[in-house]
Amino acid sequence: MATSLIVPKRPFLTLPFLLPSWSDSLSLGTRRYQSSYRRTKQRLRVKPDASFGSSQQVGDHIIHNPPSSAPSVYHTPNKFLPSNDARKAMRTQASAGYNATELPNVHKVEAERKYHLNPSDIEEIRKLRLADPMMWSRHKLAKRFECSPLFIAMVCEASAEKKQIQKQVLEAVQSRWGPKRRMAREDRQLRRAAWGRDE
Amino acid sequence: MKRLQLQRWSSTVLSPRARTSNRLHQHLCSSSLRHQSTVAAVQESTPELKYRLNNAHKRSANLQYPSPPVNAALDSAKLASLHARLYLPSRLPLQTLARTLVDASADSNVDFNNESLATLGHDLLTYYTSEHLLCTYPRLPLSVVFAAMYAYVGPKTLAAMSKEWGVDLATLPGGEVDPGYLQFKRVPPGTVLDAETEQNGKRKNWRKTVTSKVVYDDEFGDPIKGSSNSSVGVPAELARATSVRALMGAIYLHAGRPAAKLFFEQHFLSRSLNISQLFNFSQPARDLTRLCARENFEKPVAKIISETGRLSRHPVFVVGIFSGQDKLGEGAGASLLEARERAALAALKGWYLYSPLNVRVPSSMEEEGASPWNPAHVDLGEVIS
Amino acid sequence: MPVQGLRTVAAARNGVGAFILQCKRLDFNYCTHGGSSRGMLAFLTQTLPDFARENPQIEIRVAPRHNKHPVIKGQYINGKEKAICVRNMEPGEILKKAMILKDASGDKLKRTKKPVTSLNESVRGIWSPYHGDMRGV
Repeated sequence: MATSLIVPKRPFLTLPFLLPSWSDSLSLGTRRYQSSYRRTKQRLRVKPDASFGSSQQVGDHIIHNPPSSAPSVYHTPNKFLPSNDARKAMRTQASAGYNATELPNVHKVEAERKYHLNPSDIEEIRKLRLADPMMWSRHKLAKRFECSPLFIAMVCEASAEKKQIQKQVLEAVQSRWGPKRRMAREDRQLRRAAWGRDE
Repeated sequence: MKRLQLQRWSSTVLSPRARTSNRLHQHLCSSSLRHQSTVAAVQESTPELKYRLNNAHKRSANLQYPSPPVNAALDSAKLASLHARLYLPSRLPLQTLARTLVDASADSNVDFNNESLATLGHDLLTYYTSEHLLCTYPRLPLSVVFAAMYAYVGPKTLAAMSKEWGVDLATLPGGEVDPGYLQFKRVPPGTVLDAETEQNGKRKNWRKTVTSKVVYDDEFGDPIKGSSNSSVGVPAELARATSVRALMGAIYLHAGRPAAKLFFEQHFLSRSLNISQLFNFSQPARDLTRLCARENFEKPVAKIISETGRLSRHPVFVVGIFSGQDKLGEGAGASLLEARERAALAALKGWYLYSPLNVRVPSSMEEEGASPWNPAHVDLGEVIS
Repeated sequence: MPVQGLRTVAAARNGVGAFILQCKRLDFNYCTHGGSSRGMLAFLTQTLPDFARENPQIEIRVAPRHNKHPVIKGQYINGKEKAICVRNMEPGEILKKAMILKDASGDKLKRTKKPVTSLNESVRGIWSPYHGDMRGV
């Protein structure tokens, strides 16, 4: 009697499987058939996509439907193909859907390199860093000589005492870490190492 | 070119110089009939009984030998079934198959153990594998070539293959044991296997480069060990690996080069190995910059292709590395740095995993009616920093 | 060091190159005077030689097992054993049971849900929401 309480949205006549059946086995069969039929039709009802190509096109044509997945590493980029490889000429410029020049950069655009330091400046950098390592850190030197901290690291090295002091400072900081922070830091390093293995 | 008579060579493998006249006794005149199964008689009859008694007598007589005698191979059902299971060429006799299953630690006599066959088989295996790798992926870095060699024909893989072939281990080697078992002397429990490496610990420090591995080390980039003291025993893995190598050598000797190559392709090359998973980069972005500078491409620039949830707990960035207008690689990550690293790594793998069309290996020239050789693709390949 | 190699073992794909039959050994046990072994005795004398000739990959052992029902036991490469009791069976039925043991892989029977299992990567890759036909929001 439960079925009689359901109020169908469409009239009974269009939904024959809801009508009381003459025999149980027949109704069961019809119902199963109905549902699987519906499922099949639903699967076939795919939204039309630009990549499918229109059916009005006459003659032979290629349906290009690029996969919605990250590209495989076995697919050598066009630029890396040697000049005598036949694939280089065969590949056309596939429209990626974006223009490479318009995409935003990951990093800020680097300032134009000046190449303005001469050997005497580099001598001075070394002298300053050795004379007072606490005062003349990499960043301060970089600011004064208008170059990058990386360049400072390339031309000179901190004295052994300064390195020792820095190491002790780091140890003091790390000794205050609790187990949570320590584990989080270790996990971060492990994740970083996993990037290299592409995991 | 005149074909070499392999049959003549292989006869020397089959009939080794006699150690004792007893051991080769009946070997030459024994019938070539293979006893497929050790069938105990359904109805016991007197000739059957006699045969069994004879057999028992022979077994006790074999006790004096360190490994099963040559003529025992024809009576072993295990050996015959192994021969059939591996589709070995019919020209490879059961006696040689039995010999490939005798390790040097079981029988120190070089005429009866598999050491010489294993040396030949190892050289063949490494030759075929390396030519396949170098011709299919001409740009692979050497450290990855070493790893791929290890994955295809390293001792671990060979031991796994021997297990998959259904080769069983003999508990103790001896003349009375069924020749279908792999015979070797086991390492007594508690033995330190890497005692040698501990001594050389200091020396290892100054040999880290790939170049030194090429010059001094073996095919897998491992330091070459001196001949191990086999009287102590060998690990099961090593004994299995040696027997597989010996089988390869035996096929080459008895059935010739085409059969050996076919065996290699069917059993070794058919295994699945994803070479792209053998890479471990430490600084992919730096390597990619060097590569582009070397090959005169524009400087690689990382650009965001798409992103989602930048301010959420789980952001995803898809970053592509572009050299001019061309995309070299792309990667997705939870931070811009991660995505950039992964993209650079994908670009480098794209470079390294280049594979030319219509790959041919040098050994394919040995086939009859082979077309003229075109040089294999060679370029600068590895990025050195 | 720019790039290091990671060591692995290449995975076996039985049947891609060579196919290794997984049944290593078949043991046939019978009883000389038990009535349930009558079919087995006929099988051993009539059918087994041909069966053994057709399947040289399998080591065959025949052994009496007195006052017990006849049994066929299969030993497999993965180290497992399967046994089928063949009491009161005709030689034809016993051959069918032997074929079952011969063709088995030695693993426990399990339901296969996918028609194909493969180690190879799919041609179109793993679907990702960030690739393919993207539309601006």
